[in-house]
Amino acid sequence: MVNFKTKSSFLKLYSWLPIIFLFISVLNEFDFNYLNLEYFSFNFPYILIFYFTLKDFKNFDYFLVFMAGLVNDTVVGLPLGLSSFSYILICIATSYLRNITIRPHPIKDWFYFLFIISLINSINYSVLMLFFSYNIILIDYLINNFFTFLFYLVFVYLFNQYLRGLND
Amino acid sequence: MASSRDDFIIAIRSAFLKKSTQQKFSLLTLFLISAFIILLSSLDLKIIRYLKIGINEVVYRSSFVVSIPENFIKNTFFEVSEYTTFFKDYKKNEQELNQLKSNYVSSQIIQSENRELKELINDYVSSSDKILAKIIVDHESPFLKSIIINKGSKDNIKIGTNIYDQSYLVGRVIEVNYKTARVLLLSDLNSNVPVTIAPQNIQAIITGDGNNQGQIKYIKDGFSDEINQESIIYTSGTGAIFKSGIPIGRLSILKDNLASRFNVEFYSDFSQLKYVFADVITKTETQTLNNAELDSNVSGGTPMNAKLKILEDELEIIEQTNLKFIKENESLKSEINKLENEIVDFKNEIFLKKEKIKQYDIDKEELTFLRLNLEYGHKCRKSFFNNKGYSVGSTMYKKCVMSKGRKN
Repeated sequence: MVNFKTKSSFLKLYSWLPIIFLFISVLNEFDFNYLNLEYFSFNFPYILIFYFTLKDFKNFDYFLVFMAGLVNDTVVGLPLGLSSFSYILICIATSYLRNITIRPHPIKDWFYFLFIISLINSINYSVLMLFFSYNIILIDYLINNFFTFLFYLVFVYLFNQYLRGLND
Repeated sequence: MASSRDDFIIAIRSAFLKKSTQQKFSLLTLFLISAFIILLSSLDLKIIRYLKIGINEVVYRSSFVVSIPENFIKNTFFEVSEYTTFFKDYKKNEQELNQLKSNYVSSQIIQSENRELKELINDYVSSSDKILAKIIVDHESPFLKSIIINKGSKDNIKIGTNIYDQSYLVGRVIEVNYKTARVLLLSDLNSNVPVTIAPQNIQAIITGDGNNQGQIKYIKDGFSDEINQESIIYTSGTGAIFKSGIPIGRLSILKDNLASRFNVEFYSDFSQLKYVFADVITKTETQTLNNAELDSNVSGGTPMNAKLKILEDELEIIEQTNLKFIKENESLKSEINKLENEIVDFKNEIFLKKEKIKQYDIDKEELTFLRLNLEYGHKCRKSFFNNKGYSVGSTMYKKCVMSKGRKN
């Protein structure tokens, strides 16, 4: 009985892992920037949100994603609401893709992901430049965009393994 | 055509409005809320500011706790790499320490002199206390370079407070919460610092390059030729945003094909910061002004009266100084007269001495002539046997005697 209870709570925790990872990543800015590699940065939350909202994962609550955006803005020092806006846009995009797709294909998803993150980064860049007068280097955004796009496949593989483990 | 447009609209509507069973809010609601929050942040309302401070306090602490494992790994990585160059660094540091100790003494002297001079020209003395602050969040965003410290308005930190690593400038506070504050690093693109380039004494503005360096953003035309490699950069204090004379970094010149680029290598490594010093400034009125205020308070005067009293005091001091100058002037004039008289006396004495010397020369010449006349007079004197001689007393005779007889 006790064993069953422990197993059940472990399973519950396991099923909440994506959202826990999302909060850890926004609080921790998990992107290896401290390595000081000059032309390297990627946005892990984008990949995570895109993948799990596309899969319509049951414990991936939009409201929690929205909250994670607020936390990210606070940690990074961006205007409040900007990351939430970006994350919700990803959720909308994935929801739309889900609605129009009959036969999902990972490569199509991958390029759709590129389109979406490019669009969101463009919006972010424009909002920060035009409304908040931030000085940002465009090339940094492009590099971030590119590596986020590249890393998507690696994380998709890992997330697939995670989902397989959950189903088993 | 119409059918595909309908499909698109249905898909969009479904994406925005359809809630799954486990979702509490529709995406449209969250989308509008986030847009509304962005709008409110841009308006900078007081209530939003307080809300933000509250969120910041909670999030920064949470971020610090969550970052502990990553920071542990990161620090271990840096410590291991530090151990490999430990002995070399130790030797270098020892030498630097000795050098710094001697510099410290001269620096203390300069500081006390500076304080005294400021007391003379200002109506207040700014005494600064450097308080130690721990960095709780230092996630290097690729776009924004900032850190969070564990000191806030509770510890008198204000927006604009200068932040140091040892004695080197690191940045300034741009956001203050109750127990935390955000520091904009000098390497951020949005950071602008008025600086002086030494030893050429050129004024410039430096900005961050978004990585770990700075670059000179503005310098007056023509001065860029005077700058050389290894010039030292420190704050000029212009605009009163940063204190003057704080060392920032060293200049490095990168020469491209067309133009030169001036980069600034900061003394402090911003990626290695653990603790920093916040310069909390408190302004205290000087004793002079306090006395004046005290007097005005005692006499029950208004601030205008106090100002008038200060002006009267100043006038009195100026009059006294003038009188002193007049007295000094008179004594100097009498001294000049005395000296002029002495000069005239000396001139007379010199003239007399010159006359004496002249007379002495004449006498000496006469004596020589007489001596030679005894010896060679017969050779020059005109006589029966000497037809070619000269008559005694003539100039030619004297000349002949002086040249020791006639020269054939």
